[in-house]
Amino acid sequence: MNWFGFGFNGFGQIRTNEKLTDGESAGDANVTYPISIDIVCRNLEEEPVQICQHNSNVDTQIRTSWSRRAALHSNRLPSRDNNWQTAQPETAVKGDGRLCLAGFGVGTPSQKGCGGCVEESRGCQDAHISEGYLALSFTDRVECWNSERNEKKPGWSMVIPDNTGPSLAFPLVPGGYIASNPPFYRPLSPQLLAVSLALGTEHAVLLTASGDIYTWGSGSHGQLGHGDLSPQEEPRAMEALMGMSMSTVAAGGWHSVCTSAGGDLYVWGWNESGQVGLPSRALRGEQQKSQDTGGASTCKDEEESYDDVFISIQAFPALVDVTQSCEVSKISCGSRHTAAVTSTGDLYTWGWGEYGQLGQGTENSSDEPRRVEFFKDQGLRVVDVVCGPWNTFVSAIKEDPSLHPDTNIINPLTKNDIEWKNCL
Amino acid sequence: MAELWSAISAALPVTEAEFPLDFSEKVEPSVVDVLKRCRQQLYTGSGRWRQNAQIILDFSWEKLNTGTWRDVDKEWRCLYSYGCLFKVAALCRDDASSARVQEAIRTCDLGLLMGAAIMDNILQTFVRILQNEIGKRHSNEENPSEGVSAKKMKVDCVSVPVVKQALAVPRVHCPSLESFKKDYLDPQKPVILEGIIDHWPAFKNHPWSIEYLQTVAGCRTVPVEVGSRYTDEEWSQTLLTVNEFIDRYIVVKDASSLGYLAQHQLFDQVPELKDDIRIPDYCCLGEGDEDDITINAWFGPGGTVSPLHQDPQQNFLAQVVGRKYIRLYSPEDTEKLYPHQLQLLHNTSQVEVESPDVVRFPEFVKAPYLECVLQPGEVLFIPVKHWHYVRSLELSFSVSFWWS
Repeated sequence: MNWFGFGFNGFGQIRTNEKLTDGESAGDANVTYPISIDIVCRNLEEEPVQICQHNSNVDTQIRTSWSRRAALHSNRLPSRDNNWQTAQPETAVKGDGRLCLAGFGVGTPSQKGCGGCVEESRGCQDAHISEGYLALSFTDRVECWNSERNEKKPGWSMVIPDNTGPSLAFPLVPGGYIASNPPFYRPLSPQLLAVSLALGTEHAVLLTASGDIYTWGSGSHGQLGHGDLSPQEEPRAMEALMGMSMSTVAAGGWHSVCTSAGGDLYVWGWNESGQVGLPSRALRGEQQKSQDTGGASTCKDEEESYDDVFISIQAFPALVDVTQSCEVSKISCGSRHTAAVTSTGDLYTWGWGEYGQLGQGTENSSDEPRRVEFFKDQGLRVVDVVCGPWNTFVSAIKEDPSLHPDTNIINPLTKNDIEWKNCL
Repeated sequence: MAELWSAISAALPVTEAEFPLDFSEKVEPSVVDVLKRCRQQLYTGSGRWRQNAQIILDFSWEKLNTGTWRDVDKEWRCLYSYGCLFKVAALCRDDASSARVQEAIRTCDLGLLMGAAIMDNILQTFVRILQNEIGKRHSNEENPSEGVSAKKMKVDCVSVPVVKQALAVPRVHCPSLESFKKDYLDPQKPVILEGIIDHWPAFKNHPWSIEYLQTVAGCRTVPVEVGSRYTDEEWSQTLLTVNEFIDRYIVVKDASSLGYLAQHQLFDQVPELKDDIRIPDYCCLGEGDEDDITINAWFGPGGTVSPLHQDPQQNFLAQVVGRKYIRLYSPEDTEKLYPHQLQLLHNTSQVEVESPDVVRFPEFVKAPYLECVLQPGEVLFIPVKHWHYVRSLELSFSVSFWWS
């Protein structure tokens, strides 16, 4: 699998190999167009392995915070006889993962490793990173480390009882979930039968086993989807979606997204940058201003020609037509933007785009879902998307039927990179 | 052009070492890293400092919009002001076009509106420098008076409501502190005070007019309420310069949308206007300091409406330009006024005062009230929690003093 990134790169979380010049940090410039990101960690295997393409039996997930990006390598060992099937059961070490960071405070890559290997993460199954903390989930425990990682022990940890119930997606843990700030452990009623949880900046969106959605937290921008602006201290069922079976949830700064089992997309919350996918007055106003040459404003006339209704806060879920015939399979939210992957392997983005996080090659925002043409142009099939607050990471595979389905595209690495990687 | 930059940099600390960047632990190290980049680039003059300033602005803007406004930590408001400072410096660095100078003023205003004062209120210093620059450029231009004559207003045809004598708010001329306290403040009775603001420069030295406001504050960005009243669905707030506000909502008054520069602490933002008014002496009868008094500007065309509502402090409403129709209800009659249930609007009545729905709100017409047409030069005393409804009859500028 190959990961691509675009958007905010103020700490080099996308372009990690930038040379440092006076007065600049690694990657000041925004990345407005998807670029391949190098997430392979040289330290991953005990024995050095020929790493360039064709290898990745390493399943890698991405986790993000504002200033960092983490690659979560799940480390299924490649089989020795170059058999491209997945590793033999006895050599496969399920869930023995490792986390590698890029971005603020992380060293530059070297022969020894990617510069951001988190030793403490060896063997973890999942992780969440925030500005202040690094939360690691192991089979038997959860640990929360200070991001500076200048201590020998995690600041907080908790033992996980043997889980006999359905497997839970982090940050869900038996009995509750792990928040991004202290107090870390927050209990949840067992009656909810929680399956998946998305944490926004000040709200939460929960999916239950029955396909219902519960939300709680701040409601000031309609992000809870109950039709008003009141906060909710306890999880409250979203009545507007009752009776429909939902399959995924995502939460951003002030908006929320979910998909139904049938692939329909629902969005609600603040639409100030078009992140809900409905006409945004604030957005059109800004675009109008930048078109005006600065003379007497013609804004008023322009507004009158819009018969559309503008939505600044959508307090009930709205069905958003991403594209006419396709189903949405994966979703993710940044602080003020949204990304969706369709079952046909296309990526759509909309919302705030001033850091290039929409991947359209511009720094424009959009209140309409638009396909990111890069992937189609490159013959890539998008498989997953993970949004950081101001950027977007996408995993994709080459859509070439003549190649083995598990094969990935050639990573456009530099010559130097390939040379020292081929060591044995 | 270079003079602008030298004036701006003269207002800044001489060296990078003297430029303070002290924040609590609440501000993450990654953010401080960007701030230090901004500071370094300010003094070395190289690097992508416009971009880095924008990062600070965007990051702090998100913090300002997290949680309720009054709970936002002051650190984030300071951070926002720093972002404005660095952005203004970046805009003024090279040949600053008029558009850039205007954008710099707007940036300062956003910092003054949403940020917190930093470095001896340096944004206010910047605004003065930038306004001087605008002034210099205008006097070099060929048609300086073109603006003024074009700003003739549409004259309103106004129907002034006839105030029933029995319901009129009582009037008193320059009462002593003691008699005001005894007759009105202590018993909490509304009254119109005449003759107490005649000495204001806003009447004598710089009579407030459209032209005067444009000269003193035309390029300044202010919050404007758009829509007929804040209880309407269509109501919204936007940011405009005073010139834009006047062009769009005063000069050419469009019946379809009202704009109102309402409840804004304009006098903190534009010190020249603060010099034109005085805090009424009677405020000293209150418990708080002079610093605790909130002074708001209310400037708009005829037809602006503040729906019937109550405020948690005593109010002196001083009328400077134009006339307003005002109706007052006692807090004792609150039940007949049908306040909204929602927490957000529980200080606002559901009733449309001048055309009440007698079916939904039958008790309303039984509630006793006082009314008046407030004229320029008069000050209305609105006791705390007294319900009041205000409609401007023509172009109007009022100044309110909230005190305890």
